[in-house]
Amino acid sequence: MAGIVGSADPLEAAVRVLRVSKTFVDANEVRALDTVSFHVGRGEFVSIIGPSGCGKSTLLRIVAGLIMPDPGGTAEVFGRLQTAPSNDIGVVFQTHNLLPWLTAEANIRLAAEVQRIDAGEIRERVEAILPVLKLESFRKSYPHQLSGGMRQRAALGQALVCQPQLLLLDEPFAALDALTRDQLNVELLRLWQAIRKTVILVTHSIAEAVFLADRVLVMSDRPGRVIEDLRVDLPRPRDPSGTKSRPDFSRYVVHLGTLMGLA
Amino acid sequence: MHAASRVRPLRATLERVAVFIVLAALWEWAVDIFAIKPYLLPALSSVLRSLWHNRMMLLEQALVTGGEIVLGYAAAVIGGVLMALAIFTWPLAYRMFYPVLVVFQGLPKIALAPLMIVWVGYGTSSKVLMAFLFAFFPVMITTLGGLAGTPEHLVEHFRAIRASPWTMFRRLRLPAALPSIMDGCKTAMPLAVIGAIVGEFVGSQRGLGYLILESNAQARTDLLFAALVAISLLAGLLYWAIELLARRVWWRAL
Repeated sequence: MAGIVGSADPLEAAVRVLRVSKTFVDANEVRALDTVSFHVGRGEFVSIIGPSGCGKSTLLRIVAGLIMPDPGGTAEVFGRLQTAPSNDIGVVFQTHNLLPWLTAEANIRLAAEVQRIDAGEIRERVEAILPVLKLESFRKSYPHQLSGGMRQRAALGQALVCQPQLLLLDEPFAALDALTRDQLNVELLRLWQAIRKTVILVTHSIAEAVFLADRVLVMSDRPGRVIEDLRVDLPRPRDPSGTKSRPDFSRYVVHLGTLMGLA
Repeated sequence: MHAASRVRPLRATLERVAVFIVLAALWEWAVDIFAIKPYLLPALSSVLRSLWHNRMMLLEQALVTGGEIVLGYAAAVIGGVLMALAIFTWPLAYRMFYPVLVVFQGLPKIALAPLMIVWVGYGTSSKVLMAFLFAFFPVMITTLGGLAGTPEHLVEHFRAIRASPWTMFRRLRLPAALPSIMDGCKTAMPLAVIGAIVGEFVGSQRGLGYLILESNAQARTDLLFAALVAISLLAGLLYWAIELLARRVWWRAL
């Protein structure tokens, strides 16, 4: 689908991606993204799905300002051209970024300390975050002492401590077992409902994408393009048993599965 | 190590000491039975006697050699870490110094000992320099490896939270490199001991290395053995100190 896809008013947009392409050149040229455009509205929860290797993570890194798109394409966040990382964006990757020599609490504090936020303020924020992430009794534990699910929750805390306006989640729960993953998705949804920040979640699980998001962007195989922008009109608040047993939930999942060549 | 920790402490101690006791008994007995000449192999009892009689002199010489080792080793650790930092931080330093260091490392450092005597004299400094030369390279190379081996996703994370280069170094690269730096420090300690002893062999009037040559010349093999015991005690003590320090870097292999 060419042109700009997106339902939010451009003025209200938190993220504006315009004709972004990305070609990696080393041993051979790999075109990861091909003229991708979309908007994400303020407070919106958008999932991006696509086959592995379709450039989803590359797209997220461009929005985060960690890598630059090819000339001609732009990524804007809150009206600002993304050329470098910024404080109002929190990123969580599939591989958690916890430092093994710091406790869970110290790991969560780290980003705020690096940004020289006042010590008292950091303490307040950490005290607020720990119970939300159910890590209060594990604050003094080191990453290797935590379960996989707790580690990803701590990683979420690392992103939340700077109070980002935009959360970029790159398959944050992909390495976890299905049960833990579903549980964390429910917690993520509850968290999002409480803070109402803009979220872009990259995943390769269709059900997860539909369950969580207001909109689902589907990307094609490499080079990645946006081939569908699906509005998910499922009522909120959502809960796993209720939402997933609705006939329209199944319709969304089947529709997306067909698009991705799975059905 | 895991199997040993399950055994009761007393029994574990006995197991450790048993081999030594058997070896000691064999030594004493063999020298007696086969009537080995004392200048070839003195009986254990005469080595122990010599050790006791010369304890003050041995301690004095051990302090001399120990001082040389500690100074050379400290210089090697500081210099090795700083050189690795420079090479890691500035590509120019890498291009300029790394080839020189590698060529230099290929040189047998023992062969340099006479030159060091010529350059800095018979005093302490030539031994310190030898200990430094032996210990420098492993520290530098493991530090370099540790710094370069910082996981890429953590480096990206620090970029994402907009850490300054200094913060990136202090809070990420240095702690990430510490386990490997500690490996280098452990490897370097016995090498520094060798360096100092070699330095004393080549030209010296003091130290345990000198004592070994002297007692050899006087065919006082019992004293030579006593000096060997003193050297192993000294080397063991120094290594143990580094080992204790290294234990504080517990996050290796995590």
